[in-house]
Amino acid sequence: MSIASTTVLEARKLSKAVEGPDGRLVILDGVDLAVERGASLAIVGASGSGKTTLLGLLAGLDSPSEGEVHMAGQSLGTLDEEARARLRRRLVGFVFQSFHLLPALSAEENVMLPLELEGRDDARERAAKALADVGLGQRLHHYPRQLSGGEQQRVALARAFVHGPELLFADEPTGNLDQRTGAAVSDLLFALNREHATTLVLVTHDATLAARCARTLRLRDGRVVGEDA
Amino acid sequence: MKPLVFAARSLRREFRHGELATLAAALVLAVAALAAVGTLAGRVERAILASASELLGGDLGVTARRNDLPATFVDEAKKLGLASNRIAEFSSVVFAGERSQFTEARAVEENFPLRGVLSLRDAAGNIHSARGPARGEVHADRAVLVALERKVGETLQFGGRDLVIAGEIVNAPGGAVFQFAPTVLMNLGDAEDAGLLGTGSRSSRRLLVAGTEAAVDRYAEWARAHLPAGARLSTIEDAQQNLRTAFERGESFLRLAALLAALLAGIAVALAAQRFARRKTEDVALLRCLGASRGEIVGALCLELALLAVPACLVGAAIGVGMQEAAFAFARGLLPGEAPSMSLAPAASAFAIGLAVLFGFALPPLLRLRDVEPMRVFRADVGTRVRRFDALYLLPFLVGGLLILVESGSARLAGTLAAGLAGVAIATLLVTVILLKLLRTAGRGLPGALRFGLANLVRRRGLTLVQVGALALSLTALDLLAVIGPSLLERWRADLPADTPNYFVLNIQPDQRETFEQRLVALGARNISTAPLAAGKLVAINGKAPQASDYREERRAGNWIEGEVRASWSAELPPSNRIVAGEWHGGAAAMPQLSVDQGWFELFGLRLGDTMTLRFGDVEITSTVSSVREVDWDSFRVNFFMILDPAHAAALPHSLIASFHVPPGNAGLASLSRELPNISLIDIQSILDRVRDIIERVSAAATWVLGFSLAAGVLVLIAALAATADERRVEIALLRTLGAHRGQLDAAVLGEFAALGLLAGLVAAAGAAATGLALARSVFRMPDYWPPGWPLLGVALLSAVLVMLAGLAATRRIARTPPMLVLRRGT
Repeated sequence: MSIASTTVLEARKLSKAVEGPDGRLVILDGVDLAVERGASLAIVGASGSGKTTLLGLLAGLDSPSEGEVHMAGQSLGTLDEEARARLRRRLVGFVFQSFHLLPALSAEENVMLPLELEGRDDARERAAKALADVGLGQRLHHYPRQLSGGEQQRVALARAFVHGPELLFADEPTGNLDQRTGAAVSDLLFALNREHATTLVLVTHDATLAARCARTLRLRDGRVVGEDA
Repeated sequence: MKPLVFAARSLRREFRHGELATLAAALVLAVAALAAVGTLAGRVERAILASASELLGGDLGVTARRNDLPATFVDEAKKLGLASNRIAEFSSVVFAGERSQFTEARAVEENFPLRGVLSLRDAAGNIHSARGPARGEVHADRAVLVALERKVGETLQFGGRDLVIAGEIVNAPGGAVFQFAPTVLMNLGDAEDAGLLGTGSRSSRRLLVAGTEAAVDRYAEWARAHLPAGARLSTIEDAQQNLRTAFERGESFLRLAALLAALLAGIAVALAAQRFARRKTEDVALLRCLGASRGEIVGALCLELALLAVPACLVGAAIGVGMQEAAFAFARGLLPGEAPSMSLAPAASAFAIGLAVLFGFALPPLLRLRDVEPMRVFRADVGTRVRRFDALYLLPFLVGGLLILVESGSARLAGTLAAGLAGVAIATLLVTVILLKLLRTAGRGLPGALRFGLANLVRRRGLTLVQVGALALSLTALDLLAVIGPSLLERWRADLPADTPNYFVLNIQPDQRETFEQRLVALGARNISTAPLAAGKLVAINGKAPQASDYREERRAGNWIEGEVRASWSAELPPSNRIVAGEWHGGAAAMPQLSVDQGWFELFGLRLGDTMTLRFGDVEITSTVSSVREVDWDSFRVNFFMILDPAHAAALPHSLIASFHVPPGNAGLASLSRELPNISLIDIQSILDRVRDIIERVSAAATWVLGFSLAAGVLVLIAALAATADERRVEIALLRTLGAHRGQLDAAVLGEFAALGLLAGLVAAAGAAATGLALARSVFRMPDYWPPGWPLLGVALLSAVLVMLAGLAATRRIARTPPMLVLRRGT
């Protein structure tokens, strides 16, 4: 199967179902999408519409019940979890709603993590620069619990971009922040995205945030019900 | 990822979290207890062997009855670079003028003794160490000098020759504890020249050798293969049995206490590791998400534990060695001879065991983190599938089992303890499952807060089972240490009451019995027991002459077949004997009957109803084995391997043997000895004193180790409660948010913890009683021991209260945290 050279992420007939107490529960049902290199896509929908499940499948964090995902030309279905982990390490950055910083590591060490996973020797210098880029150059040695929510999310942004990923997946990146801080973080996210020319896939139910993306995919009950470009 | 760097960073930060500190403290305790006891036990063992070597007079003896050993035995010793000393032992009468004395003579070469010290008192009363007597000289026991009215420097007649008394024997290695008469040491050449060792002299020969351990081992191997008929090897392991038994029993106490400490620490490690693993779940999900491989993650976690464990185990080993140094100084006075050097091997093995305990107990929860799915970063309920069975969880049981087996030094102790603990674990799980089922249905009728508390137990079923199990096991260990251990020690002390016989008398003729007993009563002797003793030979078993080669323990069987067999007879079962099979023959058996010692019964593979033919002088008697006795050989009473029924044995040629207690230093015994010159009076007060001393000091040492174990127990409790505190954090915050006041929270927590504590405490008390009973029977040989019920019940109730209070304290701490903070942080 040939995939257009500009398409970095593609999903075909993607479905996910789980066995529940009342029988089979379909969470995602036959989702098709393609994201071009450098593009930004927002996935929106009500709670329980399947946004996060779709994000997880696109990022290779979970396996679909049916259908397939191609990331940078590589079919994820043919890879085992370890191989998918290697692919993520190389190509993907993440930003989460609840930041997910390791509490035992300082801000700098948290940002170093993706670089260290790649085995790079210049991890510390690059992490310090990435933190300076998000305005936390003075907070290198602070631990997550010593940082505010907005600062934690900026550390998470620095971590997401520090290894120059091709794809950035963001799950409600401003969901845990107040409006002002959320807006600042969102500005930073898009600025970094432009700067690094990263392909952004963002899950949100914040219409303003979604509007900043080039495309918006609407989900309802696990199905794509519309797309704005 | 560089796992080492990552592990070091995590450790640096996480040490501040409770569970890693608990892990480290538990490890330090476990390793310190094992190192201290292991090192001390090894050192005492070597001290006993060294002193046994001194008692024997060499490192190994080869004894032959009535004929000399082939010269090849001396040649082989020389070839292996061993020093050797030939000894002949025989009974003889020595004279001085009109006086005479029956003696046990030992003719030795001049390099006697090879091990230990021969101490003599010279004419001026000074004591000095010496070698074997030169030609023309003898050394004699004080009893000989008194009987002959001779002093050092004067002469006595022996084998028709005049020999100069060169010294009075104060201490001579190699003598038997129970010898029939006082000792005279003479030169082997003199004995040979005087014809004392010729045919028909009834002398026995012994060759002692001494040298390096390796050479002695090789010699023993060679000698075993070349032993002539009737000859046997005497090893230092055989010597000093009474002291050895006391030390071995003491060692079992210490090992038991140390083991329980280590096991308790193991449980603490397991619980802390579980909690550590739970807290790591989110981190692992994130790392998976960022592309870390399973191997990298598990590697980093294991490294983190290793970075914690290695220093903790080193500290534990160092503390253990320090403690044993103090304990050894305390026990030093009990051990004769040079202080044996300390081997660091037990400390090293404790270090290794510490690591094994940590990884055995911590690996299962950590390895399960491999299964954490990266999707968990989005949804906390992903990847928490509970497997019904996980073989990994057998690992801690395997490690625990191996720990018990390796450290107990005794399969019996290991088996009993492992079975006891396994029983407690199974019983706890069963009782808890049943109670939880009952609570699910019957709990609805309970008042509000209590219902909520008990409902928590039902809701967190898995955690409840783990907690009750851990609590019950640790409380069992505490019960064993706090109640069973001391009561066993108390029972052990009672084994040797104040009037324990301190004298044995051999060779009393039947017609002297009345006089002898009257004199003893007049001297104020107590606990007098007299029994007939006939020396004979084992002729046949079931009509067939026994062959040593037919038995598994050929050497031991051979000693009995070739040597002398001593039997007694009695209508009553003697004290410190217990019938374990068959029926006691009583006083009026119709056919000749025989009761045999259990060890003997097993040695010869006997069955009840078998016949044994014994020859006493010219009389042969064939008796049926009608009962088997368990004999307490450490009771310091006169005991026999074989007891015949009196109706058929009373007419056999015999002497009498007696034991009794008189206060030490009773002057009247010397006159009794003079009045009945043929009797042999053996003073065992010093052995008795030493055994008592060992019991006292071992009890004190066991109390030390007990302190360790209690500390470990408290750690386990903290770890168990901390594990539930985490679970309660969100729940309590929610209740507080919904307006629950402190009284309601307290009632819920008290209900829950009281149920946990009471359940665990009661199962533990029952388990400890059963384990104590089994330990008393199988390990400590105290068949009449019965565990004290009330103290156990008291400990059970007390532990319920303590668990309740500890739970309350932990929960109060949580309750003080602002609910918002907790809810925002989540679990």
